[in-house]
Amino acid sequence: MLALEGVTKRFGGLTAVRGVDLRVERGDLVGVIGPNGAGKTTLFNLIAGFQRPDAGHVRLDGVDLAGQEPHTICRRGLTRTFQIVKPFGNLSVEDNVMIGALTRVASVRRARREAAAVLEACGLGPFRATRARALPIGLRKRLEVARALATGPRLLLLDEVLAGLNPAELGPMLDLIRRLHAEGLTLLVIEHIMAAIMRLAQRIVVLHHGEKIAEDVPAGIARDPRVIDAYLGEEFVLAPA
Amino acid sequence: MIGAGALRGRAPAALLFGAFALAPVVVRDAFFLDSLVLILMWGALSGAWNIAGGYAGQVSLGHAAFFGIGAYSAALLGTRWALSPWLGLAAGAVVSVLAGCVLGYLSNRLKGPYFALATIAFAQVLLIVASRWRGFTQGSEGIPVPFRPGLWTLGVDRRGWLYLALGLALTVYLVEVYLESSRIGYQLAGVREDEDAAEALGIATRRLRVWSISASAALTAVGGALWAQYVGFVDPFYVFSIDLSIRFALNAIIGGLATALGPFLGSLLITTLETSLRATFAGVRAGFTGVYLIVYGCLLIVVVRFAPDGLSGLAARRGRRDSSRARA
Repeated sequence: MLALEGVTKRFGGLTAVRGVDLRVERGDLVGVIGPNGAGKTTLFNLIAGFQRPDAGHVRLDGVDLAGQEPHTICRRGLTRTFQIVKPFGNLSVEDNVMIGALTRVASVRRARREAAAVLEACGLGPFRATRARALPIGLRKRLEVARALATGPRLLLLDEVLAGLNPAELGPMLDLIRRLHAEGLTLLVIEHIMAAIMRLAQRIVVLHHGEKIAEDVPAGIARDPRVIDAYLGEEFVLAPA
Repeated sequence: MIGAGALRGRAPAALLFGAFALAPVVVRDAFFLDSLVLILMWGALSGAWNIAGGYAGQVSLGHAAFFGIGAYSAALLGTRWALSPWLGLAAGAVVSVLAGCVLGYLSNRLKGPYFALATIAFAQVLLIVASRWRGFTQGSEGIPVPFRPGLWTLGVDRRGWLYLALGLALTVYLVEVYLESSRIGYQLAGVREDEDAAEALGIATRRLRVWSISASAALTAVGGALWAQYVGFVDPFYVFSIDLSIRFALNAIIGGLATALGPFLGSLLITTLETSLRATFAGVRAGFTGVYLIVYGCLLIVVVRFAPDGLSGLAARRGRRDSSRARA
């Protein structure tokens, strides 16, 4: 479904992403981990069209996305969320989600109905009339996901949606991601919380200094000496699921 | 195009515009009617500004450019080729859409204050062209617009003008209502609130921004053309002035950004104040004619401090408070 070939991005002298190959097949749930500054978010920017790769290709269903703008890529079925959430602060939660739905449906009334369904599914139903900026961070993260879902993606890119959540919020968000995956959505997930992503993803890609240093099932990643050196530290033991 | 739902809660607007429509039946006083015409015109022009500056969040301080284009189109076509001001109005709107595309393109490169500065420069360039191109625009002398009786030549009496201005005001108001209830309106709100998020959600932000500025420009030009015909004289230093650009923005900000009725409430307050202050002080001493500017400034401070959402925001907040009190 999604294929990256030798994707490279430089900012001046710094190579943020270097020669990354990655394949995501329909129905996958792939995790992306790596220390701060490893190039995870830059990778998302390159996939979703917010930045252009200096070399390499990003293909969605075989179509090269080079030069396409983010909104076109979204309409092709690939939607991303932002690590630093970007709610439409002065609008209600419902309007936020409805604007996502309006990408697919032209009628405001239908979009509002679809938004209501997405809000229920994401547990945001009670907050539909709240101004987005008044939501606590945990719910803002959920709104970020809900709004992206409303665009009807086939492939959803989640950028650290678990970060900043308290233990009580973590569970429902993990359940939501699992449920979406079970319903057939393909997901590519950047995550910092190791225990969570290890249990969530079928396959994990590790970035370090912009390069892919490993790709394996979670158990394999936890044992990989390069990953342990770069990121996990020797003490890390995979928590039982 | 505009569903019944969009018109819910619009009673204050119906009341306001209804009062304007009935006024000429009751009152014949020329000064009073003139004030009403100006309130409607400046309200409509601020509403036009509100499309870009309020709903789309593209704050322009150069909308006098479009106003001037409209005014000059009507005046030049009328005096040079004896064409109807309606045609001048249409020509002005077309030229302004093109100019709006230029400005819209700029808005894709420049954000916030930088965009505002670019719009000021844009209006200044047009001012220089209009005031120097003697052969075509009669330079800084300006153009007197002849009065030719008839609706086709827009030579109508004050009551006629009141209904023309009301027509413009209602047109702009309905465009604003449309923007509060339609797909494109919600998408514009997304662009205003967060461009990156809007883009990620599939909204063609660049195209929408250009659209909003062009639509705003076209309506501003229509207002400029009508104004030129109403006042009967086009002075480049007035029609392209930054004062005018600020007036458009100020009415909308004081009345309530991105609210349909806000610009008209702002205009009602500001225009009334201005005409009455001018009438009061102009007779006293020539030096006092600028007093209304001081009042402008003080008013802005008060609004920003006590009603940051503008007059309509204040009304909405009061409404909410009342309903919560009723529940308690």
